[in-house]
Amino acid sequence: MLALSLAWLLLGIIVGLLGIAAKLWPAPWGKRAWLILPAIGVVAALASGWLGTLLLGKLLASAVALWVCVLCVALLPPLAGRLQKRYQIER
Amino acid sequence: MGQPSHQINKNAANKAAAHGASGAAANSAPSSTKPRRGRLPRAGIGAARIALSLLFIIGFFLSVFPGGQAAVRTVLLAPAVIAASEPAPLALLGEPIRHVRKAISSRGGPVYLDIYEPTSPIPPIPGAREGLVLIPGVGDNRQVPQLINLSQSLARIGIVVEELTTTTLIENNIAAVDSDAVVQAFNYLSRWPGVGANRVGIAGFSGGGTLACLAAADPRIRDRVKFVAMFGSYFNAETILQVYGRRAITVNGKTVPWQPAQYPLEVLANVVASALPQLDGQLIISAFLPGGQPLTPAQLESMSPAAVAAYHLLAGDEPKQVSQNIAAFSPQLHALLNTLSPSSVIGKIRAPIYILQSRDDTSVPITEAEEFAAALARIHHPYDFVEFGIFQHVQVEANPPLAQVLDDVPPLFRVLSEILQPAS
Repeated sequence: MLALSLAWLLLGIIVGLLGIAAKLWPAPWGKRAWLILPAIGVVAALASGWLGTLLLGKLLASAVALWVCVLCVALLPPLAGRLQKRYQIER
Repeated sequence: MGQPSHQINKNAANKAAAHGASGAAANSAPSSTKPRRGRLPRAGIGAARIALSLLFIIGFFLSVFPGGQAAVRTVLLAPAVIAASEPAPLALLGEPIRHVRKAISSRGGPVYLDIYEPTSPIPPIPGAREGLVLIPGVGDNRQVPQLINLSQSLARIGIVVEELTTTTLIENNIAAVDSDAVVQAFNYLSRWPGVGANRVGIAGFSGGGTLACLAAADPRIRDRVKFVAMFGSYFNAETILQVYGRRAITVNGKTVPWQPAQYPLEVLANVVASALPQLDGQLIISAFLPGGQPLTPAQLESMSPAAVAAYHLLAGDEPKQVSQNIAAFSPQLHALLNTLSPSSVIGKIRAPIYILQSRDDTSVPITEAEEFAAALARIHHPYDFVEFGIFQHVQVEANPPLAQVLDDVPPLFRVLSEILQPAS
């Protein structure tokens, strides 16, 4: 599982970098996006990989890690951006 | 969007942030109409988004849909089948496995089972594993490296494999009573912890295909058999004897020479001997053992007409008198061959049948598989028929040409993914 976890970690970083290339982060994040998106990718890939192992088995866990990771990298930054904005407006 | 306009106007940067994807533009000064240093061109952004979308679709399909899950298993299994060894991705992604030996009883005697199964807990989704009863043919094949590799690879992708053999098979013979051994083995696997009772299929290699068909037609299990897969198996015992007698096959309307290997001759001699007088049977068996000598005219004169006819068919020394030799068979021999023919039971099989056949098979000619497929098509029975060039009978050839491998991969992928569907 260690080798698989490392593979998922790498997958998370790659998807995070693709998210940066796709400009999926909110403007206020600025250069921090280079750190936050791969971090989101890594956390999502590892969490979904392990969850996938529990639910579907080791064989299909990487496929679960892939789509959940992409989903998180695509949806979480805009969501966080909206929440940030709402918080700033409320203040 | 969806917010009071006075709030949006209050903070232009926030407006840009709300759009997320175009957020980088919010950092730009209004005058920055030319691309900034380090910014990706619009095409790059589009390509990255397309790549992410594709990754999402691929990952979702492969993990959620049964067809996708079967594709994952096939992608991992196919290289193991072609290379006859465990590839690194299968070792990394596959399940840990164990091998258990069991023996159960049947009408024909003891049934020896070699069970290969994943040791990891059964995943809650789908909640049960696929089971495969595998009859590796005539002879004792339990130590054949390619068979062990296949069983282990199947177990690594989550299938519980139950190889079976019987005393009759080990003695290089085929007996219809051994279909009961397959039925018992099927029931045994259906009750195996973790195996879904409605997810068990039967696969037969070579002579094992006959037993697979006979068992799949058995009323005790025929409604529960998920599929029947046959690799290098004959369809009709009499037509295969005709081919052996002619030493030729007809492919696409052309008659081409065909020479059988020694081992199937030995097996067929054992089979026909059981329906002949004992001494005749012993003579025929001795003639087709490795290093056996052709029977002398004096020996042939002492034999019954049915035994002489069977001998000539196996020896291939009367290729022009095949029909007469078949006609000389005794009623017992006709009945035996009919009982040992999948052609006699295909109407009773409910499960889909997958026929796999190597093109240059020297044990079972490809015409048998073609006739099998044609018969299934006639009765509108669900089936798939694929022929390969990388196998010789049921074993992968050493170092097959790359072009041949590439040619065989699509049909192999198709049939494997069909066979692996019940695992999802």
